[in-house]
Amino acid sequence: MIVIVDYRMGNLGSLKNMLGKIGAECMISSEPEVIAAADKLILPGVGSFDNAMTNIRQMGLETVLNQKVIKQRTPLLGICLGMQLLARSSEEGVQPGLGWIDAKVVRFNFAGLDTGNRRLTIPHMGWNSLTVKTPDRLFADMEPQAMFYFVHSYHFCCDHPQDSWASSFYGYEFTAVAGRENIIGAQFHPEKSLRFGKQLLTNFCNGGIQ
Amino acid sequence: MIRTRVIPCLLLKGAGLVKTVKFQKPTYIGDPINAVRIFNEKECHELVFLDITATLEGRKPRMEMIADIAGECFMPFAYGGGISDLEDARKILALGVEKIVVNSHAVENPAFITEAARLFGSQSVVVCIDVKKNFWGKYEVFTQAGQKNAKKNPVQWAQEVMQLGAGEIIVNSIDQDGTMQGYDLKLIQSITAAVDIPVVALGGAGSVQDLGRAVSEGGAAAVAAGSFFVYYGKHRAVLISFPSDKELSQVLP
Amino acid sequence: MLGRNWENMNYKTCTRCIMDTSDPEIRFDKNGICNHCARFDELARNDWFPNEEGSRRLEAIVAKIKQEGRGKEYDCALGLSGGVDSSYLAYKAKEFGLRPLVIHVDAGWNSELAVNNIENICKELEYDLHTHVVDWEAMRDLQVAFLRSGVPNQDAPQDHAFFVALYSFAVKNNIRYVLNGSNIATESILPQSWGYNAMDARFLQGIHRRFGTGTLAGYPTVSFFQYHVYYPYIRRMQVVRMLNYLHYNRDEAKKLLVEKLGWKDYGAKHYESRFTKFFQGYFLPTRFGYDKRRAHLSSLVVSGQMSREDALVEMAKAHYPESEQREDRAYVIKKLGLTDEEFEKLLRMPLKSHLDYPSNAVLYQKLIRIRSMLRGK
Repeated sequence: MIVIVDYRMGNLGSLKNMLGKIGAECMISSEPEVIAAADKLILPGVGSFDNAMTNIRQMGLETVLNQKVIKQRTPLLGICLGMQLLARSSEEGVQPGLGWIDAKVVRFNFAGLDTGNRRLTIPHMGWNSLTVKTPDRLFADMEPQAMFYFVHSYHFCCDHPQDSWASSFYGYEFTAVAGRENIIGAQFHPEKSLRFGKQLLTNFCNGGIQ
Repeated sequence: MIRTRVIPCLLLKGAGLVKTVKFQKPTYIGDPINAVRIFNEKECHELVFLDITATLEGRKPRMEMIADIAGECFMPFAYGGGISDLEDARKILALGVEKIVVNSHAVENPAFITEAARLFGSQSVVVCIDVKKNFWGKYEVFTQAGQKNAKKNPVQWAQEVMQLGAGEIIVNSIDQDGTMQGYDLKLIQSITAAVDIPVVALGGAGSVQDLGRAVSEGGAAAVAAGSFFVYYGKHRAVLISFPSDKELSQVLP
Repeated sequence: MLGRNWENMNYKTCTRCIMDTSDPEIRFDKNGICNHCARFDELARNDWFPNEEGSRRLEAIVAKIKQEGRGKEYDCALGLSGGVDSSYLAYKAKEFGLRPLVIHVDAGWNSELAVNNIENICKELEYDLHTHVVDWEAMRDLQVAFLRSGVPNQDAPQDHAFFVALYSFAVKNNIRYVLNGSNIATESILPQSWGYNAMDARFLQGIHRRFGTGTLAGYPTVSFFQYHVYYPYIRRMQVVRMLNYLHYNRDEAKKLLVEKLGWKDYGAKHYESRFTKFFQGYFLPTRFGYDKRRAHLSSLVVSGQMSREDALVEMAKAHYPESEQREDRAYVIKKLGLTDEEFEKLLRMPLKSHLDYPSNAVLYQKLIRIRSMLRGK
């Protein structure tokens, strides 16, 4: 059973739809007992960093998540803001993150960059491609022309380059997929990335990582 | 690098899809659910659905229909029409809709934009600005499906909307709507030059070249169209289409 | 499979085609050849000319169409669904130099492949297109009414709409000749017990009156008189089943369409409609035990396009993966506005046939007899 963690922020409907299409058994829950019994976890997220971390703590979810992810090494996929929460902190807020990946989250900054004649607005919103750095089962069967839907103003910055599994480019190269053992974060929305996102989610649900 | 989004924009009237010309004479296009399914299979980049009679009829958005449609959409989906309170917006976003589109209500209650952006994130809040030229050729903002003159200047309104916290603006030319004779590039350019948030061009696209011009000459961040994606040929036969990646890459960055 | 009592039937398959006792009305002669084969032989004698005679007739009709169409924008109309038959017809019409107005009837179930095929055909062959969009709410109401009636021919609402919309448009616009992709080479066999004449408006309207909840306005339907007398004899509309006058091989046709027009194949017959795919692949076999593939393949066997052995092999193949069935079922249920429980109930309700409801069946039998008498002359 895959549990989509409901901490009241995130487009849970879309995720459920996509997972239903894949045929993965899943449920949306904010109950610690349900989360504790999950085989795999998905941490969605749309909104602000501080709101997210406050909700997670106030709903008593941090303990069970730490238990599952760090102690039991349950596979977890963080999506968009859900990925950013995996870091220790974000420039967007003051709350500490979950701190599961050695990273911080920073705002896009194009100061001093020559972006050509194309004006780059924030958020980074639209379809972009990935450059895979660390081959993983997550990226199995990924087509060369695969594109994913991004919508974010802040991005991940890993301390250790080996934790950055795939990057994308918007003004400059930034980490689009980060991972450490059983923990993965994807900055884009696979549930909204058509067949490319479907493939990635299928890989996560059916195998992906050990 | 990010590619330009090409977005079918479909109009809902009652339970069916329609297409208008200059916001008049709605023609029946068919079942929204099958249309979305086809667009999904054609892998369009994003989809916008606007319920054009909700505000006029003083009606709330139809949640069940939105859920049914969103369930077929595996790319970003924006819904607009009759959204006037935050609870409705929250419900809609929870159904699998990425963005809410506000139009008339944003003009009546600009604070709504700020509140919605604060609660849901500005990237989830899109303001659609419908524009018509008056007798003297001056651009004016209209609401209520093009029936009420809001007595606002589109550029000023666009700037206000940006300050209020909207994440994106759709600029829709009522005069070009459904004509398939090209976007109003002058209008689009005036808006994109005035704001820092993405501007989506809408109204008048009739060819892939038009899509390109909206970006190269208009400065639009994304392009939307209705008739261009649902009509075929000189008899405007209903047939859903979407340009191939190859065709788009020849005209769009 | 629900609803059918097999205990008293001895299973038997025709020795010439592959029709079997899943058609409860099948009859075999002393050589084990079924009545469908016999009917095919008669049909072929009267209406099938994949030979020189056909070329002659074709030349004559094409010349007539061209002549009568001189000075007009279009000399004929062509119904296009995006399936192989009508697509091939569209290709041949161009070859013969005809100038059709292509007409597509959208009943709300188009698959993306169908829509894509129609676009490519019109673009490549430079045809003008007219689409008749059936009001979906009316269509939905009629389809749900049909489900509630429990009859096997759930595809009647689509077929009826297609032909009525096509012919009405042609007649209204004074286009006399309508090219139609129906053909004997691939569709001669279809048991009467597996369905009923989709064109019977009395039957269709009766089902709606009894089980429908909304209005039928927006759904294309005409009376028996209009369809069978007014259109053909007073407005002199002529339906030209061109594919019966030439060599038409389905596989060869597909290959050509793919090569020349970027046509895409979607597997089985009529799967350009998502509803038909689900109906033929799941609903009909599950509820009634009828698998239309058997009839389609038998048609190919008797017309010489496929060997009986290959047909049996094809028949045995699993052609509809369970995951797809699940997805299509969910989609159909959603589109029709039903719940899973409601649909399940309709799937399992007692079996009915058109004989349980008012229809023009008697009138149609008379019509068939008159036609064969006229032919006999």
